[in-house]
Amino acid sequence: MKERILQIMREVLDDNSIDTSSNQQNCENWDSLHQLSLISELEDEFDVDIEPEEIAEMTSFEKVKDILSTKL
Amino acid sequence: MKYFIFRNQTIEPFWDNNQVSFSGYDDISLIPDDVESYIWFYQVPPGEDDVVAEEVKTFLDKLRLVLDKILASKQFIIFSLCSLSNVNIVGSRNTLMIAINEFNQAVLDLANNRGNVRFIDFSKFVNQYPHRELVNWKFYFISQTLLNPKLAKDFQYWWKQKEKELALKRKKCLVLDLDNTLWGGILGEDGVAGIKIGGDYPGKAFSYWQRSLLELKRTGVMLAICSKNNEADVIEAWENNPFMILRKDDFVAWRINWHDKASNIQELAAELNIGLDSMVFIDNNPTERELIRQLLPVVETPDFPDKPHQLMSFLEELVNSYFRVYSVTSEDLKKTEQYKANAQRVAAQARFTDFNEYLKSLDINLEIQALDEFNLQRVAQMTQKTNQFNLTTHRYTENDIQQMSNEGALIYAISVSDRFGDNGITGEIILRPLEKDTMLIDTLLLSCRILGKRIEFAFLDTIINLVANKGIKRLKASYHKTAKNSQVADFYDKAGFRITHRDDDSKDYELIIDKQRDKKDIYTITIK
Repeated sequence: MKERILQIMREVLDDNSIDTSSNQQNCENWDSLHQLSLISELEDEFDVDIEPEEIAEMTSFEKVKDILSTKL
Repeated sequence: MKYFIFRNQTIEPFWDNNQVSFSGYDDISLIPDDVESYIWFYQVPPGEDDVVAEEVKTFLDKLRLVLDKILASKQFIIFSLCSLSNVNIVGSRNTLMIAINEFNQAVLDLANNRGNVRFIDFSKFVNQYPHRELVNWKFYFISQTLLNPKLAKDFQYWWKQKEKELALKRKKCLVLDLDNTLWGGILGEDGVAGIKIGGDYPGKAFSYWQRSLLELKRTGVMLAICSKNNEADVIEAWENNPFMILRKDDFVAWRINWHDKASNIQELAAELNIGLDSMVFIDNNPTERELIRQLLPVVETPDFPDKPHQLMSFLEELVNSYFRVYSVTSEDLKKTEQYKANAQRVAAQARFTDFNEYLKSLDINLEIQALDEFNLQRVAQMTQKTNQFNLTTHRYTENDIQQMSNEGALIYAISVSDRFGDNGITGEIILRPLEKDTMLIDTLLLSCRILGKRIEFAFLDTIINLVANKGIKRLKASYHKTAKNSQVADFYDKAGFRITHRDDDSKDYELIIDKQRDKKDIYTITIK
């Protein structure tokens, strides 16, 4: 799962340096518009629905992973 | 930059952001000229039919204001409007549907009359999906993205196809074979009455095909014949077969003989005085097609369908690939001069002739509120989220804001509404005290949703007058450059501030307040 998330993040955010320490502060492309595309991709990839409150929380790789793992 | 897109919704996920830049939301005040083409891609916002219909009517006025300001030689691509989200309730007055149709009709007229305007039928994309897949309300509520972002990849693919069509040069002449191409069977063997045209299938398919080619001819495409046959037989078929639709007079030239087709096509090009590169050759015989591809590669030689019932889809492909009127030609360019004159007339008939009048018609209300317990959360949140119209991009928590206020900072939020709705609190300013009669504009930001209506200047002017009444004589301010806020790099210059210091990443300003600033009669401003 970790690798699948990382792969989607690298693709959507167009940044190959993304790793488990990435977050909205240290990743320049990760703005609100990319967040939208990222969520849309993650929902499709893992076949889950992510709630708006959760979307607001998903500001780092770790938080993305935590929230997704509660759904699988 | 390849495209500049005028838009009223969040559509960034649908475009390759290396190629495009976007207007503000429903913002026509800024029209860059260093782009190859412009795109107008508005969407019908959700809401009450009558209210949205009124808003849709203003789209056309805005579109015309924009068209008047751009060079007639630049391609301007306009997406048709479709209702993505609005429910047409039985018994309602269809006002919205009528407004949408009027817009699309007007855009088609523009595309027919101006060489540089192209119409993109967005419903062709939208209609591929069931209604419930078009809008994902979650994404609409969190980021004002009406078209479902899950369709982004499909859309990108679809747009690539459209781009190819837009780039094509229109061909001038369609060179057609006869036997098993314009009709079924072989004239020399089956005879004038035996060839398949008219009646039941497959003759019916050839009739429809010929009728469509006739329609193509009416749009200005020349039809020519290149066929291995006896000319006398063909002329007899044209004259005596009652089901024939394309007849002798429909063809500008023909080579009906037993010579090789490459020589015949070269002769046709010479006779018609057109280049080989403006010809398309249609023949059911793969050997003939191969010959032309080998000897005359600039002639377009598409594959021909195996079955007569595929002719209609083949025709659609032909039209899309070779005969759409998309590219700007030199004649179009000449015509655009006339269009310009026309455009000015059209504009004069439109409801607004200039931007200020348009702004006035919006009934914009600006409410300036001092910081209180109700707006505190929003004020803090905006400092966190606003990137583009943000002069200093300081990020604050609610505690930070409260503390600044306790230390004597003046903090105001601005709430914007117009006759189409209330945007709520969409901007703020924080002024911190320096010396006795001097304050520093620590933060000034506005949500991109309300830009393009010169609200930023009205807001700042109102605040300047307000602090002047409190005895402030001097304001300091600065611009801190970030990756996202270049659009406000010169904001204070435009607002009449004087630069006191500058380096690569920032500028400092000063303003001596010596007089009250004029209130614009465009807005209704209230201070709470």
